[in-house]
Amino acid sequence: MAADRLSFLSQMVEVLTSTISFEERLKNMVHLLGRYLKVDLSLYFGLDKGKELLTLQLTSKGVLSPHQRLEFACGQGVVGEVAKSRQEKVVHRHHAGVMPANALLEKLHPAFHTLAAFPVADDNFLYGVLLLVDGKDRSYSQAERQIIRSATLMLAGALRQAMVQEEAKKRIAELAVLFEVGKALSSTVELDELLERIVTTTAKVITARGAGLQIVDRQTGETRVSSRYGYIPAPFKCPPILGVLPTGGTLADIPYLQGEEVAADGSLHYHLAVPLTFKSSLQGALCVFDKITASGGYEPFDHENRQLLFTMAGLIANTLENAITYQQVEDLAEKNQRMVRNLTALQEISQALLTTVQEDRLLEILLQGLTQEQGLGFDRALVFMVDEAGQTLRGRKGAERLAQGGPAPLATALFLPLARELDLADWEIPLRNDQGPLASAVLNRRAVHLREPQVLGGELPEKVRLTAGELFAAPLVVKDQVTGVIVVDNQTSARPLEEEPLHALQMLTTQAALLLENSHLYATIEANSRELGLIRERMLESDRLAALSSLASGMAHEIRNPLVSIGGFARRIQKLVEPESPLKGYVEVIQEEVSRLEKLLREILDFTGENLSYFGNHDLDQLIEDTLLLVQRDLDAQNIKVVKQLAQLPLLHCDDRQLKQVFYNLFQNARQAMLNGGTLTIRTYPVEKEDGLYAAAAVSDTGGGIPMDVLHNIFNPFFSTKDYGTGLGLSIAQRIVSRHYGEITVNNELGKGVTFVVTLPIAKYCLVKEAGQGSAPASAIQI
Amino acid sequence: MKKILVADDEMSIRLLYSEELKEEGYEVYTAANGREALEIMATVPVDLVILDIKMPEMDGIETLRQIKERRPDLPVLLSTAYGEYRQDFATWASDEYLVKSSDLDDLRNAVKRYLKD
Repeated sequence: MAADRLSFLSQMVEVLTSTISFEERLKNMVHLLGRYLKVDLSLYFGLDKGKELLTLQLTSKGVLSPHQRLEFACGQGVVGEVAKSRQEKVVHRHHAGVMPANALLEKLHPAFHTLAAFPVADDNFLYGVLLLVDGKDRSYSQAERQIIRSATLMLAGALRQAMVQEEAKKRIAELAVLFEVGKALSSTVELDELLERIVTTTAKVITARGAGLQIVDRQTGETRVSSRYGYIPAPFKCPPILGVLPTGGTLADIPYLQGEEVAADGSLHYHLAVPLTFKSSLQGALCVFDKITASGGYEPFDHENRQLLFTMAGLIANTLENAITYQQVEDLAEKNQRMVRNLTALQEISQALLTTVQEDRLLEILLQGLTQEQGLGFDRALVFMVDEAGQTLRGRKGAERLAQGGPAPLATALFLPLARELDLADWEIPLRNDQGPLASAVLNRRAVHLREPQVLGGELPEKVRLTAGELFAAPLVVKDQVTGVIVVDNQTSARPLEEEPLHALQMLTTQAALLLENSHLYATIEANSRELGLIRERMLESDRLAALSSLASGMAHEIRNPLVSIGGFARRIQKLVEPESPLKGYVEVIQEEVSRLEKLLREILDFTGENLSYFGNHDLDQLIEDTLLLVQRDLDAQNIKVVKQLAQLPLLHCDDRQLKQVFYNLFQNARQAMLNGGTLTIRTYPVEKEDGLYAAAAVSDTGGGIPMDVLHNIFNPFFSTKDYGTGLGLSIAQRIVSRHYGEITVNNELGKGVTFVVTLPIAKYCLVKEAGQGSAPASAIQI
Repeated sequence: MKKILVADDEMSIRLLYSEELKEEGYEVYTAANGREALEIMATVPVDLVILDIKMPEMDGIETLRQIKERRPDLPVLLSTAYGEYRQDFATWASDEYLVKSSDLDDLRNAVKRYLKD
């Protein structure tokens, strides 16, 4: 017996220390034990990691067939009881409670009778339970039990050794994997490439069919799938990971989401997701799908996978953070570079703009700057200007870049003629809020960025073809006044409008607006000085005529007196001469010749204009009515109501043409003060003065009055608040009235309107004034 | 008999006018300028005055103003060698503006109109 025992133990030790695989060793040991004890079956049940299930792993009868799968929960059956108590136990079939609890064993041994279960454990760990099954009723002697205990200790030793080895192998494998992952991740800083590598490596390391990465967008807070690899069930959705935040605890409680789903074809699919966190804030999730088994099937992910995935997620998160930061830095650098380029372009355009005051040239340089590749690089640019009355936006000039940009540097290109000019001359957009985005940009003094096609207002010139959805309109503002609008788009290339050039454009508009306004002022000054030149020439001309006239009239005066004497006396002689006297004929000759000379004299005076006089007796009311006819159409067009309160007055001795000029000027001023309609009131009435009776005509408007700062200037020649005209209107009126010994006064009511009163003497009642008195100022301003 | 005062610096005109008007049956006084005319008027109650405009010492316009100041209703005829252009607000105070002509019909008719009774 002792020899048997010794031989058994030495065989066991031999197996235990052999170099065959761990499974073989165990199998042999279980087999040896069964044979030595002469039991029908010797079984080994392994305890799972969860320490809840005992699964049949080895039998003394060799390979386990699938239908022999056998499990006992901890505490269930004799196997479970022993696992729980760690105390060996022998039971017999006829013992109470043995049969139902151990009925499962009938699958292996239908007629089992004696069950002996021994814990396989070392001093701190239970690995499983050894079960010896026998068909007959048998008991185990102390010696046998001793042998079995030794055997289980050996089994435990083998298992522990295997576990340690397994653990070490796994750690090495894991380290190798992580090393691979790290190598893969650190080999690039390109974000897109990195994202690809993450999912590829993850799927390979976990041996999953597919992997996906979702990242939370930092700006919008939305989660989006950033990259994917391999099989991903459609429709792909990473499990909602946002609720699972890492708790920062031990590896045992790593956060994860795991589950399975039945696909349309009935197949089962598994997924596992772990959060990606940087600095403990959630940034996304890493998901894997369908773990591939060695046999090519799929199975759920296990604890190992979760740990590995979680470890990888940590590694990935840091790398991703770095990559994102790097990308941001790179983006910033690129943005800076673009900004520097735009600023350089801006500066060059600004300098070029300062080289001219001609509006046309300014516009060309501006359009070149906007459309040149080296400039702000828009495909097209259009300039609209607000008309003088502020009612309409008019197309002014537009340019389009040709497909191939010129090789010239910007500083040169700015001064080249436009490659392709767009004719906008007929494009007019009424300035109302319902007239599209360009009118709105002007009315609201705000840039408009259109991203979708919209009706632009006015009649679009056919050639312009503004079909691009996106365009940008920046108003030109000078001293709070919008003078026009610049429109840009990328119609030809259909690129989106970028932020930086638009920003540069807005900086440019301020300067462009000012320069365009200056050029406008310059043009006005030039026009005015031209007009002044013409007036001066005309004055010189009329001076020459006047000199000629005064010479002619002087001569006429000197010649006429003797002519009248000669002719007059000739007539008297004729009366005294006898009808038959030869003298009669002579006298007739004298008379006829004098008449001829007198006629010649009249013709000369007619020719020089000196003989024409329009002084006569005229009705003031009629004169006003006649003048009103001249402006009636303009007044109607502007919705100006005319109120007349005309008194019957004696006739005035005056030059009616000149007085009509006075009233014409007054009516025009009133009309221009009431661009949005109003009432023009004309009143005539008699005025009693110390030196006699006067006729007065008062012309009132409701145009808000004349600003205080210009009031004192209104009678000054060439002063005007308008962009047109000579500014001579009121000073001419004043001079005419003065020549008629009258006066003109202003009554200004700020916020309401202004009244001009023309007072003229009614001659028969006013004595002729002393010479010189009439040249006293014939106007007065009343505020 | 109605008394007419003719003021003209041209002696030949004074002679022509006075011969012509005397023939029409008027009593005619003559003066070589406005000052002389006003002196005569101070002593003679004339019924009508014919004034030249351009005269030395005192011209027709100033004379007309002074006459109208003293006797607003006295008819004053301006007879001038200037063309019609000289008419203006000042000359309007006269009752008639006549351009001198060798044909004296206008003058005769105007005088008759103002002195018809």
